[in-house]
Amino acid sequence: MSKKFLFGVAVFLLIMLVLVPQILLATDRKDLMSVATSIALNSIIAAGVWLTFYIGRINIGQGAFALLGGYVSAILIVHYDVSFWLSLPLAGLACAVASVLIGLPILRLRGVYFAMVTLTLTEVGRLLAQALSLTGGPKGITNIPPPGALEFFGLTIIPDFAELENLRLGYYYLAVVLMIICFAGMWRLVNSRLGFLCRSLQQNEELASSIGVNVTHLRVLAYAISSFCGGIGGAVFASIVQSIYPNTFPIQESVNYMLYCFLGGLNYVFGPMLGTGVLYLGWDFLFILGQYQLLVYSTILIILILFLPNGLLSVRLPGMKRV
Amino acid sequence: MSVALQVRGITKRFGGLLAVNNVSFEVQDKEILSVIGPNGAGKSTLFKLISSFLRPTSGEVLFNGKCISGLSPHTVARIGVVRTFQETTIFRHMNVRDNVIIAHHLRASAGLTGFFLNSKQAIVDEKKFGESADEILEFLGLQECRDEIALNLPHGHLRALGIAIGLATNPKVLLLDEPFAGMNHDETTKAVEMVREVRNRGVTVLLVEHDMQAVMKISERIVVINFGEKIAEGSPQEIQENEKVIEAYLGSEDESIGI
Amino acid sequence: MEQIIFNGLFLGAQYALIALGLTLIFALMNVLNFAHGQMYVLGGYMTYLVYGHLGLPFYLGLLASAVTLLIVGALIEKFLFRPVIRKSVREESTMLLAAGLAFFFDAVLLLLFGQKQHGVPKIMDGIFKIKTETIRLIVPNDRIAIIVLAVVLIVAFILFMQYSKPGRAMRALAQDRMAAQLMGVSVERYGMLGFALGAMLAGVVGGLLVAITGVSSGIGGPISIKAFLMVMIGGAGVVPGAIAGGFILGMLESVGLTTLRDYGDITYLVIFAALMIFLSIRPNGLMGKPWG
Repeated sequence: MSKKFLFGVAVFLLIMLVLVPQILLATDRKDLMSVATSIALNSIIAAGVWLTFYIGRINIGQGAFALLGGYVSAILIVHYDVSFWLSLPLAGLACAVASVLIGLPILRLRGVYFAMVTLTLTEVGRLLAQALSLTGGPKGITNIPPPGALEFFGLTIIPDFAELENLRLGYYYLAVVLMIICFAGMWRLVNSRLGFLCRSLQQNEELASSIGVNVTHLRVLAYAISSFCGGIGGAVFASIVQSIYPNTFPIQESVNYMLYCFLGGLNYVFGPMLGTGVLYLGWDFLFILGQYQLLVYSTILIILILFLPNGLLSVRLPGMKRV
Repeated sequence: MSVALQVRGITKRFGGLLAVNNVSFEVQDKEILSVIGPNGAGKSTLFKLISSFLRPTSGEVLFNGKCISGLSPHTVARIGVVRTFQETTIFRHMNVRDNVIIAHHLRASAGLTGFFLNSKQAIVDEKKFGESADEILEFLGLQECRDEIALNLPHGHLRALGIAIGLATNPKVLLLDEPFAGMNHDETTKAVEMVREVRNRGVTVLLVEHDMQAVMKISERIVVINFGEKIAEGSPQEIQENEKVIEAYLGSEDESIGI
Repeated sequence: MEQIIFNGLFLGAQYALIALGLTLIFALMNVLNFAHGQMYVLGGYMTYLVYGHLGLPFYLGLLASAVTLLIVGALIEKFLFRPVIRKSVREESTMLLAAGLAFFFDAVLLLLFGQKQHGVPKIMDGIFKIKTETIRLIVPNDRIAIIVLAVVLIVAFILFMQYSKPGRAMRALAQDRMAAQLMGVSVERYGMLGFALGAMLAGVVGGLLVAITGVSSGIGGPISIKAFLMVMIGGAGVVPGAIAGGFILGMLESVGLTTLRDYGDITYLVIFAALMIFLSIRPNGLMGKPWG
């Protein structure tokens, strides 16, 4: 780890944890606080998609896992009185387990087949949520209470969100801290041998298996981590909007996560964060254009991909290092 | 000398097509054995059967007396039977050294979690892999292009890289898939030398090849197949004089058989 | 029963045409065209404008759809996909472009035509009845006309691919890009032609279906997903696979919507689940090439 890198991380943490919330508080832009929170959550979910890209699979099914995570957390909290803080990892785990079961057969598919199957997976998630009674059918689950206090031997680590002076700020910190943990883990993963192995899968699965890499095992592992991220993001999202519906994560969202990764750059671990930030903010700012929002947004998107087909991070600014 | 690899009555059927039919032979420990045959004789199917990239319809392959047919390729590699590919199969977007380092995967003593947490063992592993990779690259004359992206390597070097990847797994048997294909005379001479040195490291070499001249030079024994069946087996001398072999090669209107 | 089969055939013929276009684009360019459904919708609107709005004959409407999409497809290939394919490191980048295009078409169509469903006058009146002891079938004539048109188009497409010079060149390209290039097939020209043809097929189906179901701006996405389903069933990049996939999905839908009606909206859930199981057994669909 170079000094420059550490310095960059420190600056980034300072911006995300101090500067952004202070500015937003000072300007009293509550809506922007929500936007920032959404960006953080979406980048967690997109980071998962990015990891599947990293093993050479185009994943357009992340919406299904975000939805599953949201439902698992919501059901645990509402029906079983489980604390949010416990439901969060459980939601992630449920997604990981589900993804192993689904992944074992479908990860054998490659290229567009995998892309198309995962796309339909999103639709399966939506339809399932609609059909089951546990998920509340089309009406979904509403009135999810905000996270309670997290106490450890009588020591309050995280205060009860319901008593927070500024609930939005609480959620902002929750999302940003999770995002930081997620990307720190992702960065370590990519720069460890595991990342090396993932790259070997991306480039040639046959060769990888010939040198003794257990290809099946590894890609299911990557997919499980990916879905874990999706589940965590979905669970927090459900908690913020205090509800979850079958349509909370439609196909559109799954496609968006893929776009975030693409735009950020598939070879760069921080790509999904940047891509999410740019696209989400862009979309939000274009809101002033009213009915022309989608038109301008898509036009910009097309122009971007036309000139930067390898993602935003492929632009080498002076002093920037390839991750 | 003991037997390293035993191919016993192996047969592969694709639908109605009998690609390999009841082929049996043995590979002695630390010998260089070549499987040759005209185009379409079933060489590459046989190759994939031995390396377990295909499951035989019947018959089996034994390594040190244990059946390896039907195991997954990575398990077979773990046991010590490792194949190489023709030149385009490398990790194209990695540099040469990384290509070889990653192939050390099987030698890792730390687990994936260990590597993730950068445990002591993992650090030791990484260091060892690096040293070993450098040694292999030097051995195969690739040290000068170790930082080159694999994609940009010239022809001959790619082939060497393929062998380097295979060697890095520390194989007991190395299966080479047409290592001399598309090479000119000089390149072939060099490559033949390289394969010999690989064997001198104590690795049993089985190669499937089309280029008769190179095969005659390098092999200690040769197995000839045609139309999926073994038609001859013996020393290069014997094979050159075998009428069935001559007939098979002339019949297929193929290039010179090198006599 | 007869009614279900008829509906299945009716849907299947349309679906097969949509899937043919998608699979053609995929086979030639290795592009998964997310905007395929939107191209279908655009075709629908062209026929609506010419036939429903201007009151010109239906076949002119279809022609307008075909020509528009042919041009749009060619332009998109030449000015968008070709440069992106050339410049990108990973070929999946084209998916981003395709998705962007899907958004773009959605936006344009919504601005131009609004959210309302647009219908057109029937192209043909009357109904067709068969009533014997074993068969009882009552269908409107216009549906029969649409089926016939769709089947004629499918046959024409197959003949074109099989026997015409450009058709053969495209098949060669799809089979082995390198070899075809070496034999002097121009990748650029036939890539463009293939993309244009694929888009045209989508547009024509849109035009055909306008006569029955009308057209609305939001159905592009769902149509794309259906097209993906068909291609997965039949196998990506192969013409017979697309046709088979189209008819199979049409039939499944028709049967499912009738028999599963009592259980609510679960036809698609069942189809998806079946597809997942099917694909885990046959990863390349019915007739797809390995490596998809």
